Amino acid sequence: MLPELSHEEILRYSRHLLIPDVGLDGQHKLKNSSALVIGTGGLGSPVALYLAAAGVGRIGLVDYDVVDTSNLQRQVIHGTSTVGRLKVESAAAKLLDLNPDIQIDTYNEPFTSENAMRIAKDYDVLIDGTDNFPTRYLTNDVCVFLGKPNVYGSIFRFDGQLSVFYAKEGPCYRCLFPEPPPPGLVPSCAEGGVLGVLPGTIGTLQATEALKVLLGIGEPMIGRLLLYNALDMSFDFVKLKKNPKCRVCGPNADIKELIDYEEFCGVPGHDHEDGSAGEGLDITALELKTRITPNSKLILLDVREPHELEISALPNAVNIPLGQLAGRLSELNSADDMVVFCKGGTRSARALELLASAGFKKVKNLKGGINSWAKEVDSKLPIY
Amino acid sequence: MPIIQFPALMKFYVDNQSEFRMAGATVTELLDNLLARYPALKTHLLDSNGALRRHFNIFVNGVHLRDLNGMDTTLKDDDKVILMASAAGG
Repeated sequence: MLPELSHEEILRYSRHLLIPDVGLDGQHKLKNSSALVIGTGGLGSPVALYLAAAGVGRIGLVDYDVVDTSNLQRQVIHGTSTVGRLKVESAAAKLLDLNPDIQIDTYNEPFTSENAMRIAKDYDVLIDGTDNFPTRYLTNDVCVFLGKPNVYGSIFRFDGQLSVFYAKEGPCYRCLFPEPPPPGLVPSCAEGGVLGVLPGTIGTLQATEALKVLLGIGEPMIGRLLLYNALDMSFDFVKLKKNPKCRVCGPNADIKELIDYEEFCGVPGHDHEDGSAGEGLDITALELKTRITPNSKLILLDVREPHELEISALPNAVNIPLGQLAGRLSELNSADDMVVFCKGGTRSARALELLASAGFKKVKNLKGGINSWAKEVDSKLPIY
Repeated sequence: MPIIQFPALMKFYVDNQSEFRMAGATVTELLDNLLARYPALKTHLLDSNGALRRHFNIFVNGVHLRDLNGMDTTLKDDDKVILMASAAGG
């Protein structure tokens, strides 16, 4: 028996009720349905807002982050007044203001192999709005094992991808991407940036797909992948089939339960820069300050992109962007004492590996990058 | 010549082009020509055994290479070859 709609709900959803494909029956279905939104960031914001507005009866939000000012350029579910608050709380308050008739369940915890099945099992559809590879593989495998559709979206700079992975009827995420990229090869949005409206476009399309799946209407993007480019305003659709060699949904699948996804991907399950190159390889901003003296021969190597130097810079630093470093090693002397830095310490940590493999032994990574220098040494520099 | 479409995160290695023409009668030839012109791409595209990295996919006219003839898939003028890579951003 589907739940009744109150007069107020009938008014609220009147534009849905006017569409024959939705109507009262469809609105009842939405009220009786549930969606788990994994990540309340760039993608999760429009997804959760539109699902709430549409009247999806129960929405779960998984995130363990707090709202940061640098989120607000694209994470429109949060606001200036909620900076510093838990993202799930900030998002839940906004959703309940938009639609008080729905239930919001918050999970202020990382989505992990330990809790994922418990959290996901009672939801009809999962929406992947995460920012890292381990959680994407985890979300996929949870969906395969529980037989649920995974509404997938991902973004980088001006490019977006969208699909519905549903192993019962088509390919899964692993059919398309059997393995993640080697650690460090693909930059994250925290490193490479993203156009603020891009997650709005892709997230809104994810919400569309989730509603189609929940309503059972239209042709969900099962077995199809959208490749969107905002600069060209191009929408390319490609066909996807199940990969017969898929390790999780193929006929000879050997992954039968959730695994250690951070180990599988070789990276942590979050997109925060910890800014460290590892034990014994870092120097802090305060330590670096004591090393920079008038007679010091210390070389400062800035591996950021040239346009980032306009935001903040250290005097006398040599700029070689990370992508060019391998081809420009001859400009450096392996006998020099050197400190490498970037924005937050991730790219410089990678530069350190490259330099070490080329025989540079006297190199340290500025932990936390130029942002930590701005925080701890020179407050005149902005943090970005 | 076929047309190659490149993902945004790799554009840096190919003179910031997202789409360009490249000769090649098969996908293998096309990639050989691509790497000959842009050698810095090699470590990104290929693993230590010279195989396409597994977070990359190639589609010819919207169909996955796996559903065609793999790297031996033949190409003709104006075929659209999409190279796409996984991206984690959200």
